[in-house]
Amino acid sequence: MAAPDELFCWEGDWGLPSVSTDCLVVLAYAQFAGAPLKLQKISNPWRSPSGSLPALWTNQKETLSRPSDIIIHLRKQKYNADYDLSAKEGADSLAFISLMEEKLIPALIYTFWIEPKNYVDATRRWYAEHMPFPLNFFLPGRMQRQQLEKLRLLRGDESLEAGEELEKELYRDAAECMNLLSQRLGSQKFFFGDSPSSLDAYVFGHLAPILKSKLPNGKLQQHLKSLDNLNNFCANILLLYFPRDGRESSNQKPPSQPEGGDFDHVPNKRRKQFLSALVALGAMLSYAFLTGMVSIQHVQHEALEEPPDLQTIGSHEEEGDG
Amino acid sequence: MSLLNRPEIILCLFLTLSAAEPWPENATLYQPLKEDQILLADCASSLAVQAYLRMCGLPVQVVCRANAEYMSPSGKIPFIHVGNQVVSELGPIVQFTKAKGHSLSDGLDDVQRAEMKAYMELVNNMLLTAELYIQWCDDATAAEITRPRYSSPYPWPLSNILAYQKQWEVRRKMNAIGWGGKTLEQVYEDVSQCCQALSQRLGTQPYFFNKQPTELDALVFGHLFTIVTTRLTSTELAERIKSYSNLLSFCRRIEQTYFEDKKDVSRS
Repeated sequence: MAAPDELFCWEGDWGLPSVSTDCLVVLAYAQFAGAPLKLQKISNPWRSPSGSLPALWTNQKETLSRPSDIIIHLRKQKYNADYDLSAKEGADSLAFISLMEEKLIPALIYTFWIEPKNYVDATRRWYAEHMPFPLNFFLPGRMQRQQLEKLRLLRGDESLEAGEELEKELYRDAAECMNLLSQRLGSQKFFFGDSPSSLDAYVFGHLAPILKSKLPNGKLQQHLKSLDNLNNFCANILLLYFPRDGRESSNQKPPSQPEGGDFDHVPNKRRKQFLSALVALGAMLSYAFLTGMVSIQHVQHEALEEPPDLQTIGSHEEEGDG
Repeated sequence: MSLLNRPEIILCLFLTLSAAEPWPENATLYQPLKEDQILLADCASSLAVQAYLRMCGLPVQVVCRANAEYMSPSGKIPFIHVGNQVVSELGPIVQFTKAKGHSLSDGLDDVQRAEMKAYMELVNNMLLTAELYIQWCDDATAAEITRPRYSSPYPWPLSNILAYQKQWEVRRKMNAIGWGGKTLEQVYEDVSQCCQALSQRLGTQPYFFNKQPTELDALVFGHLFTIVTTRLTSTELAERIKSYSNLLSFCRRIEQTYFEDKKDVSRS
């Protein structure tokens, strides 16, 4: 029997199997369809065969990166979560996925990557803490620039920047999208009855990070929490299909703040302290050399045999005084 | 402190008053030149807005201008000029007419309204994007039709500069949404998938939500009718749509009901 396909995705946190929307969509779909994937949860996108996450490394030595492509591949392998859907339900599924792509994704990009407080205190911090050195110094910034560029292109506005007006517009669209999804779900367990489909995977993948992440500016989160059926929907999927991650979330101690504050919880603390000291020492030495506090003189032996010309030195001093 | 010193109060009053005003007889819809300049995607969007306004029973005069794209406040086509207000694209125009008391979707329940909006996004996400892809990313169509038509009102070398600049913008957007790496065949497949979904949703009903048309019907008509009646370098796109008989009947029905003067809507 052929070895299972290998799925590379971002590692999880906040009680989620992965922190990335796209990874969550693929993971959820694979669980719903019962696809036997060899899972590699990593925090270094450069270890993925495509250089980005998620990535599926297939038996045919082919790499797929977009969730839709991965799902199509799994369907071709006869792992189809939409098998029981009627033609009309399949059409509805396609329509609601489009709705999320148009209305929800721009707001998600803004919330996690553009909104200054969220980006600095939550997103950048998470990636910087979880990525290996030295990638953690430049990759989060590069990822943010890519997301900003994507949002600019989606909105058709080259000069787009974070701001109240943009935030209001994006959040209004996202809130409307959530309301429409909530109305479509109604009191059902899943969008099309009692078994989950690709639409459920997409909705879960996009809503779970909003619901579970710890963001300083949680406007979207507040709105989502007011929609009980969508909350229950996400909790239900976590409980049924990702029980281990759900348990980890409930077992996590509340973040008590000792005197040391946040810095005590920094991973690789010793290494970072050592590197900081090294950089500081280098900076001080450079400063000392540049300002002439410390100088290195190349002294030739012949020069030592003759006494210095005091007359010359004196004349230089006089010139300086004059 | 006087309430009228607060700008947001004044804005609300202004919008309320302008919404209360009746629809004027001289409302105008602006689009690029029909014979020489307008492109597939813009023509589809313009026809969708015209169909919507006709379904609402709101008169509008269509004016073709070479610089319509630059006249629009958002840079998007078409846009309408009603009284002292300018509104562009179907979504905002629907909101604007709703504020004036003209709505096609008031009879829908919450679930139907959710479905209607989802299917509208499906059309924008798939059909509109496919039209843009074929116009600007298919080299044959871009060279033979799109660039010459887009640049027709401008003198050389401005014509070339503007056409290539637009092509570069569209291609960047295609890359951002994951369409950059698609082949033409994959795009046709996406169009078929979209039409399959629309065909399933329509079924044997006269309109998507049974007896009465909604903005979804206007949007679908605008795109499908334009694709079927526009000559491109290949007929493949039109053929894909023609394989869904209920969608063709739907287009014919709307054309006959709302566009008696056929020359307004048909294109060679």
